[in-house]
Amino acid sequence: MNIQAYIESGKLELFLLGELSDREREEVLALAKQHPEIQKELDEIEEAMLAFDQASAPIPSAGLKEKIMADLEKDFAPVKELKPTVAPEETGKVVKISPWKPFAVAASIVAVIASGLAIYFASKFYETEEQFLALVQEQEVLADNLNQVKLQYEETDSRLDRLVAGDFKRVEMKGEAFDMQKDAKVDVFWDQGQQEVFIAVNKLNSLGGEYDYQLWAIGPDGPVGIGLVNPGERFTLQQMQAVAEAGAFAITIEPKGGSQSPTLEKLVVLGEVA
Amino acid sequence: MQEEQLIEGLRARDKKTVEYLYEKYSRALLGVIFRIISDQDIAEEVFHDAFIKITRKIDSYEESKGRLYTWMANICRNSAIDKLRSKEISQSSKTNGIDDFVYGLESQSGTEEHVEGIGVKELMNELNEDQKFVIEYIYFKGYTHSEISEEFEIPLGTVKSRVRAALLVLKKNIDRI
Repeated sequence: MNIQAYIESGKLELFLLGELSDREREEVLALAKQHPEIQKELDEIEEAMLAFDQASAPIPSAGLKEKIMADLEKDFAPVKELKPTVAPEETGKVVKISPWKPFAVAASIVAVIASGLAIYFASKFYETEEQFLALVQEQEVLADNLNQVKLQYEETDSRLDRLVAGDFKRVEMKGEAFDMQKDAKVDVFWDQGQQEVFIAVNKLNSLGGEYDYQLWAIGPDGPVGIGLVNPGERFTLQQMQAVAEAGAFAITIEPKGGSQSPTLEKLVVLGEVA
Repeated sequence: MQEEQLIEGLRARDKKTVEYLYEKYSRALLGVIFRIISDQDIAEEVFHDAFIKITRKIDSYEESKGRLYTWMANICRNSAIDKLRSKEISQSSKTNGIDDFVYGLESQSGTEEHVEGIGVKELMNELNEDQKFVIEYIYFKGYTHSEISEEFEIPLGTVKSRVRAALLVLKKNIDRI
């Protein structure tokens, strides 16, 4: 485009006089950005207008400035230092004549209420979701427990079946004869034909972490360790290793994991097969 | 003070900045109004309201749309035109043109500053009749270029080029006033 012709069209002057349409204003601004000559011309005409305006002024009446500043006094920010951003609410005190202000205020209030409700319902939603997750977890725990109980039940049931169906002898082992635990009492159930051994703890003190109770079957070849006894599982059947020949059963306290041969000084209970 | 700083201060409602704005531009802005309304009391009243409007409407001023002074001058010009066209102003308060205006300035009790008014008169003498005509109607009677075009049946392009030519003369001679 011919920049000089554009400058001479008179549009820049009308721009400065505020007489252009919005579209034409945009055009001048865009061209001024692209072409420094246009910006320079604009600046120069503005300077000339300012100087002409200044020359056109009368001497202001005394007190004009004071009156204006006094009328503006309530507008000024209380703090002296400049703040980069202005809180728009500060202008609320000013009596506005623009009709859009009440609508803007109403719209803001609606927006605030809507935001408030949104936050309220969102928090409700999260609360409910949390409760739901907690319930799901609880349900999983209950299902796990139920499974365990079911397994235990099946195990116990099958042992009971074997106990009832088999030819078990009950051998009572007591601690009366020894110094370790006078009141200890454990029963052995032994099916000699099937070689199966169960025990049921009636009374047996719990041990420290470094020791275990070990069950011995005492046969013609001497004592044979046939498993560790859990003193905590009272009145339940604990299956031990198979034994074909035994004249008596005994429990000793052995180091953790059991020993090859019994520590006789720590004999807790003994019961002879009747 | 840079224009940026000035605008920032105005937006922050900083009193010192408003005082600075007044010192720097009140004279010119009052000039814009006084060219259109020759009664100094009324012109000052219009200026008072326009200046307050400027400080309060500063948030709606956009730097990208032009310089601050142009924006302020247009607010003042529009306020003066509104006042001029309202019923409350008497015929005698209007300027009827450059001659009235210059007479108004000269009739003020003489001080050093009035020399400036004579500067305006001399400046006007630099303009040819056509240029003087558009300046008179735009600057002293508050017409827009399209109003001049309509009322005096001068093509819009001609009005534009005469305004341009007149302002070039002003620009060239501005150092003298």
